[in-house]
Amino acid sequence: MTRLRLALFLLSVIQSFRRLSAQSPLDGLALRFASMTAVTGFEQAMGDSLLRLLPGSTRDRAGSVTLTLGQGAPKRLLTCPLDEVGYVVGNILPDGYLFLRRVGGGARLAYPLFDQQLEGERVTVFGARGPVSGVVAVRSTHLTRGRGGPGSPDPVFTVDNAYVDVGAASAAEVERLGVAVLAPVSLTKQPHVYGNRLLAAPAAGRRAACAALATAVRAKPSVQGTVVVAFTTQSLYAGNAGLETVSRLLGPFEETKTVSLPAKYPDTAVETVDLSAAEALVKELVTWMGGR
Amino acid sequence: MDGGTMKPVRGLDGWTARVRTAVVFFLAVYPASHLAAQDSPRISETQSVLSQLVESYGVSGSEAPVRETVKRLLPSWVTTETDSAGNLWARVGPSGTPVVFVAHLDEIGFRVAAIHDDGSLELETRGGFFASLFEAQPALVHTEKGDVPGVFAPRDSAFTRHNPPPLHVDVGTTSREATEALGIKIGSTITMPKHFVRLAGTRATGRSFDDRVGDAAQVLALRHLNRALLKRPVIFVWSTREEIGLEGAKAVAATLGTTIRRVHAIDTFVSADSPLELPNFAVAPIGRGAVARSVDNSSVTPPAYVDSLVNVARAHRIALQVGTTNGGNDGSVFTPYGVVDVAIGWPLRYSHSPAEVVDLRDVASLADIIQAVAESW
Repeated sequence: MTRLRLALFLLSVIQSFRRLSAQSPLDGLALRFASMTAVTGFEQAMGDSLLRLLPGSTRDRAGSVTLTLGQGAPKRLLTCPLDEVGYVVGNILPDGYLFLRRVGGGARLAYPLFDQQLEGERVTVFGARGPVSGVVAVRSTHLTRGRGGPGSPDPVFTVDNAYVDVGAASAAEVERLGVAVLAPVSLTKQPHVYGNRLLAAPAAGRRAACAALATAVRAKPSVQGTVVVAFTTQSLYAGNAGLETVSRLLGPFEETKTVSLPAKYPDTAVETVDLSAAEALVKELVTWMGGR
Repeated sequence: MDGGTMKPVRGLDGWTARVRTAVVFFLAVYPASHLAAQDSPRISETQSVLSQLVESYGVSGSEAPVRETVKRLLPSWVTTETDSAGNLWARVGPSGTPVVFVAHLDEIGFRVAAIHDDGSLELETRGGFFASLFEAQPALVHTEKGDVPGVFAPRDSAFTRHNPPPLHVDVGTTSREATEALGIKIGSTITMPKHFVRLAGTRATGRSFDDRVGDAAQVLALRHLNRALLKRPVIFVWSTREEIGLEGAKAVAATLGTTIRRVHAIDTFVSADSPLELPNFAVAPIGRGAVARSVDNSSVTPPAYVDSLVNVARAHRIALQVGTTNGGNDGSVFTPYGVVDVAIGWPLRYSHSPAEVVDLRDVASLADIIQAVAESW
C-alpha cells in the first residue's frame, strides 16, 4: 500500500514537474523541494535528500546539513533554513481518528488562519512504515442546513478542532499503518505551477531559496576563502537551534548570509514564489561565494 | 422507519460465520500495508471505474467530460443518447412500463462572474458548500483551450471569522487582456485539482464522490446486468445540473411524464458517521453497505416500498442500511407525475468538501442493489 500511495503522490505532482522540468534544473529542484515535508524539528527525510544531492556534505548533531567549500580566510556562512511549521500526531483515539499538535508557528505566522487550512483537506502522516494519506474531518454541508441561522457563531477553525481520518476504524489499525504519537503531519504537498514560472506550495519561498542555494553549490563556483553552506533545522522553533549549532561548531564566521526569496500569500497552502527571482538568486549567490 | 436506525439484512449461517472469523483473524495478524494489494476483483473493478469518474471535472452545466467518461466505461452493448439538457440515457430490456435509475454527473464548483482589470477572476458558486474549503488552495479554470492553473487567493481581511469574504482566483496575470488571452471568459468553470486516493483498508478519499459514486454504481450494474432476467424496460440516466436545482432530472421527468413505474435516485446518503456530526439522524456508518435514503429534504419513500427494497436486498444477500438524511434528490421531481421515488444512496463522510470519504465496499453494494432491483423488482 505504501508503494501505491507513493505512486499516487508522484502522479499528483507529475504535471507540475512536466511543466517546470523542461525549463531549468533550478525549477525542477524547487518543485522537488516544495513537494517535501520538513516539519520543524523533524527534518530528517529532507536532510537525507540533501546529503544525496550534495556530495561531501555532512549532517551535524542538530540535523543541519553542511558543506564546506574552499579554504582559508575569510570564513563565511551561507545558510538556508529548510524547516516549516507543521504538526505531529498528538493522540490516537480508540475509533482511529488522530489529534494533532502544531509545531512552530504562533506569532511567526504571517497568515492568521494557518490551522484553518487543514479543515476538509488531505494531509500526509509520515509514519514509521512510510507516508499515510488522511483527511481532516469537516462537517457535511448538508447536515448543517437548518441548524444555525443568521447571527450564528462563526469561529475560525483551530488545530484543536482537527480530527484526522486515515480510514482506520480503530487505534490498532492506525498502529498497523505505522502511525504513532509524534509522527509528523502536513498538508499533502501538491506543488502547483501557474502563470509565468510561479510556484505555489506550502513554504514555497523557503524551498525555492534552498533550491537556489543547492543549485549554486552544484555549479561548483569559485570560492574566496572558506564558505560553509548550511541547510539548517529548527529555525521556526525556540532559539533557532540549527543555525546556532552551526555557528558554534563551525564558526566563528566573518559574515553570515541567509538566503530568502519574497513570497506572495506567505504561510498559506498557495504561498507563491517567482522562479525567475530564484534564478537571479543563484547568480547572486555564485557571485557572493566568489567574493565579488 | 425510524430515523437513522440501521437494519442489517445480511444474515450469517454457521459456515459463513466461521469464514468471517478466519478472515478477521487473518486481517488482524497480517500487515495492513499489504491489504490494498489484495483487493478482491470486485473492489478492484469498483476502484477502476470510480477513480476515472472522480478525476473527471464537471461543474454544474459543464458536465461533458464526465458524460464522456461514463460512455467510455459502459459495456459495448449499451447504446446511449444525450438529450438537449445534456442528460445521458441508456435504455435496456423489453417493452413495457419502465423503471428509471438516475445519478447526477455534475459537481459543485465555481463559474467566472467577471474578469477584473488586474487579471483576477470574480466567482459565483455553483451548488452549496463552505467557500472556506477552497480558500488558499490551487485552482483550475476549465476553458476550451484546456485547464488553466491558478490559485484561490487567501483573504486579506476578516481573519476573525470562519467564512471568507468573496473568493477570487489569481491566474498569475496582471491585466484583463492577459487573462483573456489564456482562453478564460465569463462563464468558464473553476474547480480545485482532485485525485482519487486510497486510505486504510477499502476506504478512499477524493472530491465529487457526490455523485460520481452513483454514476459508477450505475455503470457497474450495467456491466454485470443479466439482460435475460429483465421483465420490463430499465432506463439509466446520468443527469445534469442536480446541484443547482435538479434541472436535468426535471427535463427527464417532463419527457417521461406518467409513463414510468418507479424512479430510483442514486445519490449520496450524507452520513453523520463523523465525530463532528450530531447523532440525531443520518448515522449510517461507512463500510456497512448501501442505504435506502427513505426520507430527505425533497422526498419521502412510501414505507411499503422501503420494505420491498429491503426484501430485494435480503433475497440477494446484499448489505443495505435504512435511514434518513438531508439534501434533495433527482427522483423527487418525478413524484408530481405520480411516480414513486425510491432513493438509494451510500454513506459519505464530509460531503461537498475536498476530502469526502467512502468505503469501496459500499459502492459495490450500491451497484449490487441497483442490479438486483433492475433484474427482480
